[in-house]
Amino acid sequence: MATDEKKRFIVPIGPQHPALKEPGHFAFEVDGEVVKSATMRLGYAHRGIEKATESRTWVQNLYLLERVCGICSHIHSTAYCLGVERLAGVTVPPRARYIRTIVAEIERLHSHFLWLGVAAHEAGFDTLFMYSWRDRETVMDMLETLTGNRVNYSLNVLGGVKYDIEPEHDTQIREGLFYLTDRIHRYIDVVTHDTLFLKRTDGIAITTLDDALSAGLTGPTARASGVQRDIRCDAPYLAYCDVPLQITTETDGDLKARFVIRLHEMLESCRYIEVLLDKLPEGDLTTRMPRRIKAGETISRVEAPRGELFYFIKSNGSDTPERIHIKTPTLANIASVAQLVIGQYLADVPLILIGIDPCFSCNDRMVIRQNDTWDVWDGERLRQYGIQYYASGGESC
Amino acid sequence: MLILFRNLFTLMVFPAGIFLIFNGMMYQWLDRKLVARLQNRVGPRWYQPFADVLKLLANEEVIPDGVAPTLFILLPIMGLAGALTSALYVPIMGLTPAYSFSGDLIVTVYLLSLLTLSLGLAGANTRGQFSMIGATRTLTQLFAYEAPFLLALLGPALAAGSWKIADILAYSQNSWLILSQPIGFVVVIVGLMGKLEILPFDAPEAETEIVAGALTEYSGRGLALFRLGQWVELVIGLTLVAGFYLAGITNPLAYIWKTGLALLFIITLQTTMTRLRIDQTVGLWWRYGAILALLQWVLIFLMRGVL
Repeated sequence: MATDEKKRFIVPIGPQHPALKEPGHFAFEVDGEVVKSATMRLGYAHRGIEKATESRTWVQNLYLLERVCGICSHIHSTAYCLGVERLAGVTVPPRARYIRTIVAEIERLHSHFLWLGVAAHEAGFDTLFMYSWRDRETVMDMLETLTGNRVNYSLNVLGGVKYDIEPEHDTQIREGLFYLTDRIHRYIDVVTHDTLFLKRTDGIAITTLDDALSAGLTGPTARASGVQRDIRCDAPYLAYCDVPLQITTETDGDLKARFVIRLHEMLESCRYIEVLLDKLPEGDLTTRMPRRIKAGETISRVEAPRGELFYFIKSNGSDTPERIHIKTPTLANIASVAQLVIGQYLADVPLILIGIDPCFSCNDRMVIRQNDTWDVWDGERLRQYGIQYYASGGESC
Repeated sequence: MLILFRNLFTLMVFPAGIFLIFNGMMYQWLDRKLVARLQNRVGPRWYQPFADVLKLLANEEVIPDGVAPTLFILLPIMGLAGALTSALYVPIMGLTPAYSFSGDLIVTVYLLSLLTLSLGLAGANTRGQFSMIGATRTLTQLFAYEAPFLLALLGPALAAGSWKIADILAYSQNSWLILSQPIGFVVVIVGLMGKLEILPFDAPEAETEIVAGALTEYSGRGLALFRLGQWVELVIGLTLVAGFYLAGITNPLAYIWKTGLALLFIITLQTTMTRLRIDQTVGLWWRYGAILALLQWVLIFLMRGVL
């Protein structure tokens, strides 16, 4: 056994490694170039945000929660706002709902462009990386003119939004979308036809539909395997209730499908934003919001660029939350990586890892179990609860 | 005395030595700048390679635990020396090679491989996993591209009927061998890319997997020397390609534009391609590169028979 231990050749990736944009540790046992087993350890970027929310007021938490993720910042504050507004029984004006949706979709464009660049870089295709990040600047410019910020837009307030979409913004966004649609078609052409690029993506690390379902994958990662699951369609919120969104899926489940699905989603986002701009209702941007939120608890689910983002919010009637729990899409997807990489070439590992679009710092949690008196729900009980929850119209628009 | 001075001058200043290093830096800069422009970036200023080397030379050279220190220090020197020595047999700047004898083409290619060998040994000398994998990949790649590269370089030699660089150059001056031996040209250019470990053949130093491959543990002087060696190798390789396939190089002007053309070719390929896995690299070379080079040989023999 001791000699076996010596023979194992383990390649450590992380916590600091050029392939990782955030700290995480992966140990791959390789035989030559082929990965035999993988272990992973996260938690290097734990920031204690959930606990920190409990010592801040409802309004202050907006600022904090927007900073959970540097890429999908808007969707975090949206999920939080939706939950808090539901607890408070406040209805957001329609124009604010539409503006929130528009910015959420622009954010999806920005996130997917960023992912495309990073993934191309992991594959060693730096030209695609540079080009997609150049085009991402168009998206960033849209966000900047709309809100004044490129990353944390600070668009949401409890009960509405801060910034309006003026006619000149409308023109700029439409022009940008026209340009981006053209570029996205180019990139779809590249990822489906470039021979060398396909050598690195086509048929690599296939996740079948069954695997995706049993691993509980979410977001584009799941849809690349043919899972018809998108919160925007399954449990619509904001403007998704009024204007239906087309859900796009791929069936191959390999790395190529993950590229194609995200690019198709970007196309759909471009189309959707234009539809929303056409239908943008007139009216107020905000509504009055109480300082103290009624006691109670709620959940709020939204479709972040990476998949389902889940917020649990509990209020005790004061001006600070009792508990906020965040489940980010990475948590659902990351475990599948450890399975996927086995039997693959070491060279493909960074691309497989990045294929789920991981975001470690959003995902890092700490749980302290002091006494094991927890009430653990099994799958059947959860299912029954879900049926009841939706039967009572728990999450209607 | 005069001969000693002349020998020293050829070794230290021109064509080997200082001039070649300077030339390598300029080509390296051109490569970086053009790749950057093609990728919609700004790219470095012309003195960036100098600045890089100076900075590296000023850095502390860390010798990690578990290596053989002599080997660790000697290998970069050997690699660079090999690359510089090979310059004595090629027509740098379009001038007559400093030394010439029958069969010097083989010696030149061998001297160029010395750098890759040193790189592989340097990686295997250290204990880090990234270096080990990098070394394995470097040596695997060496076995993959070396044969097709040499076969493709021997195409013009066969046509000229001599393995002496000067003879081949005299033969190729009158004819654009790129037109009569296009397959050989493609194989030799791509072989050069494999030799220099540039995209798409940079699996041995793929940064997103194994950091810097065999060079991961190197810092300071060792790293600077290895880098210089690679840049010098680029110049020698380009000179050979331009001399053999692009109708010879007889004066400095022809040297600059013809090697520049070959470099442009490499840069274009480099920008439009994705990194190949090492198994794909090897497959590519043995399945296509070697076969194509041999096909070129058959064509040359047939042509010679007909003519």
